[in-house]
Amino acid sequence: MSMLLRDRRMLLPLLLAPGVGYLLLFFGGPLASAFIGSLRLEDGSFTLDWYSRIFTRPSMLRGLGTSIYFGVAPVVVSLLVSVPLSLAIRRHFVGRKLFSGLYKLPLAVPGIIVGLMIIVLFERGGFIDRAIAPLGFGLPKLVRDDWGVGVILASVWKQIPFMTLIITSAFAAIPEDIRFAGRTLGASRLATFFFVEVPLAMPGITAAVLLTFIGSMGSYAIPDIVGPPTARPLSVLMVEEFNLGRFPQVFAMGMVLSAFAVAVLVAYYTLTSRIGDAHGRGDAR
Amino acid sequence: MSMLEITDITKDYGASRALHPVSLSVDEGEFVTILGPSGCGKSSLLRIVMGISQQSGGEIRLAGKRIDMLPPERRDIAMVFQSYALFPHMTVEQNLRFGLRMKNVAKAEQQRRIAHAMEICTLTGLSSRMPRQLSGGQQQRVALARAIVMQPNLLLFDEPLSNLDAKLRDTLRHELVALHRRIGATSLYVTHDQAEAMAMSDRIVVMNAGRVIEVGTPLELYRSPRQAFTAGFLGQTNLLAVTASGRKAHLPWGQLVDLAEDAAGPGQVSVRPESIGIRACDRGGRDTGSCAPATVAGVSFMGASALYTVAIGDTLLKVSQAGGDALIEPGRTVALSFPDRLPLLEDRAPDREAA
Repeated sequence: MSMLLRDRRMLLPLLLAPGVGYLLLFFGGPLASAFIGSLRLEDGSFTLDWYSRIFTRPSMLRGLGTSIYFGVAPVVVSLLVSVPLSLAIRRHFVGRKLFSGLYKLPLAVPGIIVGLMIIVLFERGGFIDRAIAPLGFGLPKLVRDDWGVGVILASVWKQIPFMTLIITSAFAAIPEDIRFAGRTLGASRLATFFFVEVPLAMPGITAAVLLTFIGSMGSYAIPDIVGPPTARPLSVLMVEEFNLGRFPQVFAMGMVLSAFAVAVLVAYYTLTSRIGDAHGRGDAR
Repeated sequence: MSMLEITDITKDYGASRALHPVSLSVDEGEFVTILGPSGCGKSSLLRIVMGISQQSGGEIRLAGKRIDMLPPERRDIAMVFQSYALFPHMTVEQNLRFGLRMKNVAKAEQQRRIAHAMEICTLTGLSSRMPRQLSGGQQQRVALARAIVMQPNLLLFDEPLSNLDAKLRDTLRHELVALHRRIGATSLYVTHDQAEAMAMSDRIVVMNAGRVIEVGTPLELYRSPRQAFTAGFLGQTNLLAVTASGRKAHLPWGQLVDLAEDAAGPGQVSVRPESIGIRACDRGGRDTGSCAPATVAGVSFMGASALYTVAIGDTLLKVSQAGGDALIEPGRTVALSFPDRLPLLEDRAPDREAA
């Protein structure tokens, strides 16, 4: 062993092995085998058919579109709630500590439970519907509806704590004096927020948006339980194909979803690094 | 005419009082420094004047107008922060322009003011730099320029030099004074550094434990402080307990000195190390009368002067001598001479810690 360590050429790979080796084995391996599997016909010959089906079949194309929609829409709603929530948590109010602890609870609840909870609460004849019925009101169709309101509700419920957590720390990282400086230079509270705080918190906000987007785009349990039966996202279609035993098709769909997620991440990194160069945001926080 | 008028401002944190009723005024074009140890309430007071902290009571007038209920952006005051608080996502020029844009100053006027501020703060050529690409001194100048372009009725400084190294601090101190002479902005400056306060200010407001202790010009406060705290905080001094009767007072070791005015009973005087004369006694001990009790206990050579610690009776005195030919070695007996007409301090309790 000590001989091995003394050999300079061996030293580097050995030192890297625990980290890179782990990644190669448990991430790279399955990914590579899925990729290879997605390019093979039953008899083992090469084909691009599984991919072309994703981009030509109407149900598949719709699935891709639905995946993106179920990725984007909840994130937009979550963002609109999380930013004001982050700002509220920053201020002092009675019960702030308790609230800061409680709002993180959904992080620990599995997606499938959230889906069931949405059904119990928002389904016609569900809890809320029955509660407002005596007043002469009724809920519109919110679960398995065409616009995926149920999916958005469930995803938002799960995403807000995560997003708020990241955005809160992004805002908290801005020194108080910088905010005060904005005020002393004639900016109102609102102007200081938009011209000083938001730009400085942007890296955190973007990270939160992308991570939740990637998560909800690939989620299975929530769209399967509360999603519309007409528009199924790729993740749900994958399971259907899996049950039919068409593994190469499952692999191909998985590759497309992964490629999409990776593309979004790469876009994020190039975008932020360019902004960092131009505006020196790199050291800002 | 006083530009800033602070009347009976108080600040309470729950049951504890951070500022006892504090009043002070700053005349138009005057440079006033609030000087005090950390925790004395000087920064709290400054933040209350700026409006980023709320007073518990009292009122503030700027140019005759009451401002203490206004939000900071409507007070016509600009502030230079200890941390500079530059916007890290904006260039130097954008930092300077921010306030002007917020106040809807016309484009041409913005340009004129920015160019002027860049020039007088010696920032020319740095306009497109980001704050993180600047040195500490440059960042400090940007913070100053950003306040100056606002042409406010009042400029506030919250220990703006304390993050800089000693040499740069000295340079910038001179620059700040020169700049103040040039633009004549009414300024309120907060520091815990007594040398800074004395070098820069028209007047100094000495604060301790949430109260104004004494107000005066640097010279007045240094030469003839009325309070023991002022005497101890500004420069070095010897605070000596005396027993007065008429115009005379007995020092702790029995020596008799002249007082500035009639007094009776126990009191305290402040004698600066440099106003005590020191002379080595002949080894033969001819003038034993005045020499006998005083012995040099230690000496530190400071360059321009020598600082002696002299033991006399139970007291250790600080005595400074400038331009002596040779140092007096420890152990030698010395003759000390005290100045005439010593003023009696108002604070009776000897407070050696302050010295």
